Amino acid sequence: MNRISLNNVDLHYHSAAFKERSLKSLLAGVVTGKKVRQGQIHHIHALKGISVEIKAGERVGLLGHNGAGKSTFLKMVAGLYPISGGERIVEGRIRSLFDLSLGFEPDASGRENILYRGLLLGMSPKKMREIEDEVVRFADLGEFIDYPIKTYSAGMQVRLAFAVSTAVEGDVLLLDEVIGAGDAAFIVKAQNRIRALIEKSEILVLASHDFASLKSICDRGLVFHRGEIVFDGGVEASIAQYKRVNGLA
Amino acid sequence: MAIASYSSEDRFHEPAKITPPSASDLSGLNYIRGIWAARHFWMHLSLSDLRSRWRRSFFGIFWTIIQPLGLTLLLSFVFGKIFHSDITDYAPFILSGMILWDFVIASAVGGSLTFVQADAYIKQCRHPLAIYSLRTVLTNLIVFLCASTSLLVWVLIWRPQNFGWAWLAVPTVVPLLVLIAWPLATLLGYIGARFRDLPHALGLVLQALWFISPIYLEPKVFRGGGLHLLVDANPIYHLLQIVRAPLLQGEWPTWQNYGFSFGLIAGLILLAVLVGRSAEKKVIYYL
Repeated sequence: MNRISLNNVDLHYHSAAFKERSLKSLLAGVVTGKKVRQGQIHHIHALKGISVEIKAGERVGLLGHNGAGKSTFLKMVAGLYPISGGERIVEGRIRSLFDLSLGFEPDASGRENILYRGLLLGMSPKKMREIEDEVVRFADLGEFIDYPIKTYSAGMQVRLAFAVSTAVEGDVLLLDEVIGAGDAAFIVKAQNRIRALIEKSEILVLASHDFASLKSICDRGLVFHRGEIVFDGGVEASIAQYKRVNGLA
Repeated sequence: MAIASYSSEDRFHEPAKITPPSASDLSGLNYIRGIWAARHFWMHLSLSDLRSRWRRSFFGIFWTIIQPLGLTLLLSFVFGKIFHSDITDYAPFILSGMILWDFVIASAVGGSLTFVQADAYIKQCRHPLAIYSLRTVLTNLIVFLCASTSLLVWVLIWRPQNFGWAWLAVPTVVPLLVLIAWPLATLLGYIGARFRDLPHALGLVLQALWFISPIYLEPKVFRGGGLHLLVDANPIYHLLQIVRAPLLQGEWPTWQNYGFSFGLIAGLILLAVLVGRSAEKKVIYYL
């Protein structure tokens, strides 16, 4: 049974990642006998005491302004970031669409990159050959599909990345603001495709600032504020609560 | 093989509660299963590394053969004059040392950068990090195998009398090299993600190791200087002997040669696992 079960989850961004990071500063601390003073730069407490149960069939929207913890929440569920406290249980094959244009090999052709991206997402080469034509057709890049990625414009890269990433299905679908790339015609195509993908998934968690798409896709909303979930309920109520928390209403 | 205990003060361990089938569990067996599950991915990364290395070059992969061969000819001419060695004897000695040492250098330096270079993948998908160091090692191994052909051909032409059953020992160096380079690259990858000074420091350390090991200089040079320990207690010497004894002397490698190599492997794996237990999950923060 696919589900997401979070019990009092905490997540800290380790301060060492943005504090001292060279041997020099570490050795200087040792030599001068000074412990690197704690308290100047703290660990960032990005998620605080998150407890959520998401069952199969649920469509959950995440609301909150920038830095509220939506993306961190998604990456935590995807297992990318380690949690520092609490319990996380995620059952089901996870498919996540974050930072789409990351991870292309610039010297390889579009067609080769379709294969690499698919393999990154855990597909077999055989399966990728089956869906390659469909991906090429959807990306609609013409003869550029056989050119190296480095000749692509930013928009073309996003189209290709989107076409591959959405061709692979999963049980638990995690989306972070991916709709809205490319030209007008592509956006319509992309939205249709996202909807098809959503219908095939068991669980959807979508972070978005677009109330209209949240209302039409989701039935449950989580409102994030400074790393905490301040509201959990129906999507309409969540939007109202989000506006109230951020002083928009 | 599950990682048993978590210290309470280290906040960055999470209890291993995540359920399979995702490759997100860090316990040993699942970790290895995750590496196997991602095999298509790292194999393709490795092949794409090779392709991009020789993209638009005329000789392409033959550079792996031309380069060490050219350098060997030069070095054996100079060193042969200095040490009054016969060039046909000395050249395969240098070539074997050069090919193997190049593999070690490339794996160590490449390993220290491997997670940093794979950041786009690490930030998007949860795979065991060791697949990225394995990619580096695999790429280097293919280069090593190509380069080795020149050594084999050289020896077969100049020392055909060395050919015999002992040559069966030569291929055993391949798994040994992988088992040495993979944990080494992984270990250096963990450290290199945190301390970006590492690749520079490695250049120095590897140069020092090269100086105190019989890689280009024959063991008799060290022994002549009373430095027996640098030969007899040096895993690099023993590893090289697994190739050199059969190819250059027509003899079987000794059990000591294997013993030291396995000792090195055990030590490196232990270190990589110890560091990896706490570092594996933190790497993403440092990218």
